[in-house]
Amino acid sequence: MKKFLFALVFIVLCSAPSYAENEELFLYIWSEYLPDEIVENFTQETGIKVHISNYDSNEAMLTKIKLAGQGYDLIVPSSDYVGLMRRENLLLPLDKSKLSNFTNLSSAFVDQPFDPDNTFSVPYMWGSTSIIVNTGTLGSAAIESIADLWKPEMDGRLILPNDMRDVFSVALKLLGYSVNETDPAHLEEAYQKLKILFPRVRAFDSDSPKQALLSDEVSVGVVWNGEAYIANTENPNIQYIYPPEGFSLWMDSLCIPKGAKNLDEAHAFLNYLLRPDVAAALSTEMGYSTPNAKAMDLIPEEIRTNPIVYPTEAEIQHGEFQDYLGEALKMYNDYWVKLKTN
Amino acid sequence: MMQFLKSVYAWLIYLFLYLPLAVMAFYSFNASKYSLTWKGFTLKWYGKLLTNTNLFDAALRSLTIAILSATIACIIGTLTAFMLHQYRFRGRKAILGSLFVMMMSPDIVIGISLLVLFLAAGFTLGFWTLLMGHVTLCVPFVAATVYSRFEGFDISVIEAAKDLGANEYQVFSRIILPMAIPGFVAGWLLSFTLSLDDVIISFFTTGPTYEVLPLRIYSMVRLGIKPDVNALSVVMIVITVVAVFLSRRLLKEKR
Repeated sequence: MKKFLFALVFIVLCSAPSYAENEELFLYIWSEYLPDEIVENFTQETGIKVHISNYDSNEAMLTKIKLAGQGYDLIVPSSDYVGLMRRENLLLPLDKSKLSNFTNLSSAFVDQPFDPDNTFSVPYMWGSTSIIVNTGTLGSAAIESIADLWKPEMDGRLILPNDMRDVFSVALKLLGYSVNETDPAHLEEAYQKLKILFPRVRAFDSDSPKQALLSDEVSVGVVWNGEAYIANTENPNIQYIYPPEGFSLWMDSLCIPKGAKNLDEAHAFLNYLLRPDVAAALSTEMGYSTPNAKAMDLIPEEIRTNPIVYPTEAEIQHGEFQDYLGEALKMYNDYWVKLKTN
Repeated sequence: MMQFLKSVYAWLIYLFLYLPLAVMAFYSFNASKYSLTWKGFTLKWYGKLLTNTNLFDAALRSLTIAILSATIACIIGTLTAFMLHQYRFRGRKAILGSLFVMMMSPDIVIGISLLVLFLAAGFTLGFWTLLMGHVTLCVPFVAATVYSRFEGFDISVIEAAKDLGANEYQVFSRIILPMAIPGFVAGWLLSFTLSLDDVIISFFTTGPTYEVLPLRIYSMVRLGIKPDVNALSVVMIVITVVAVFLSRRLLKEKR
């Protein structure tokens, strides 16, 4: 028995991770959101070892950062969480003098309301949440605007994201308001519109709406462009539309949380990701859109000219990023509960 | 007729339990990346898995934690069960009750409270805090399993041993432990499983240096689960089946 215990203690001691690196970086990110080769190449170039750990939602990441308060050097919050964490003083300002490649970014994606002047965040990947339609089952002219989603013949064929902000964004854009609307009267209007739509929705799915679309269970709805891209590759009749009323844009940005220890390494990594060749490799590998203007020429033509991944400048003008709502969030929540329970 | 119905019922239960696993195994050989339509047989996801060091490392770390925490929890849990069964002392009822409270309390509560405790104690989050978290999760289950095994004991055997001059330690090691082995093994397997697929407690108690498999898979939801995860799951199931088979063989030979 004693021997056994000693052996066990020995095993435990041997299996504990060792800390021998002098230069390291702790990155906290969604799984599979950063290709291994890109990280390995960075380590080869700089000698900085990158430790990656993952979270599954912005909420979870925020909880961990708030409670643990240290141990992470870079996080990747979505735009509204950049706004929230900035206001809650959970982020450290960036040292732009160490980010020589920052100027490679397209002007359409910097200096956004959720982080004016990019004091705290560096755009990483972006995309849109807009309308998808199966022209094979509905015909090519069935849906041309957000208003068309309210047509009676869409009853039982609709799919919407299982996400409060995304759904409200659609109704608010329909009425000509901002996706970050905080005026109670305007929200009430959006709620009334959604009340008509909700009984007609067949599925709420944010994880994999492409499945329902590809199996013809639904024919029209609102999805984010990553899903649209895959669905369209599998079935060219499934098309993605940027409606004239406008749509919501999403962006994940890299930020340095309070309590980060390896600031130089974090900035080195940020600057590395802003390099045109790296940004292009990221976009190509992952199929997401890069905010890096200089990288565009290096991206294969079929991706660069695909409107689902890269809408035109004019279309991007109709898009709007979600920001943190503050007090108004409670109103949204109340309406959302009402919609979901009736 | 009755016999026939019984066997149909049994088969249905097995089908219900194992069909999802079979479907997953089936799709791990599917050439199509996204859709559920069959597009031909391929082994490329298994090849991809070998190159996906991130996923592989996380799986190894998960197995390490699961084996260690199951073993440690088994030792603590068995001793706890022995104490609760063998001795009468003040606070015994409270300890027994607290075991069940631990089993009933939601993971999120255990996870957050452990995190707060570790931070208050000034620990760095990582391997050790994760191990402590998982041991805490598993101990009540082992203790309850082994305790219920003890309850079914024939006390007179122990008394006879004492009459024949056995001391406390001998009674424990020669009589109680051998009788408790099945409960011990069941507790170990249960702990191993609990530790291997726990997401919430792991999320709160681990740090940036020690990422485990469930967290890695769980946080893929944003970008979609890739087929190499199916391949990995199949590999893990095969390992599990072999392990269970071996442990049964070993136990059989001992008797």
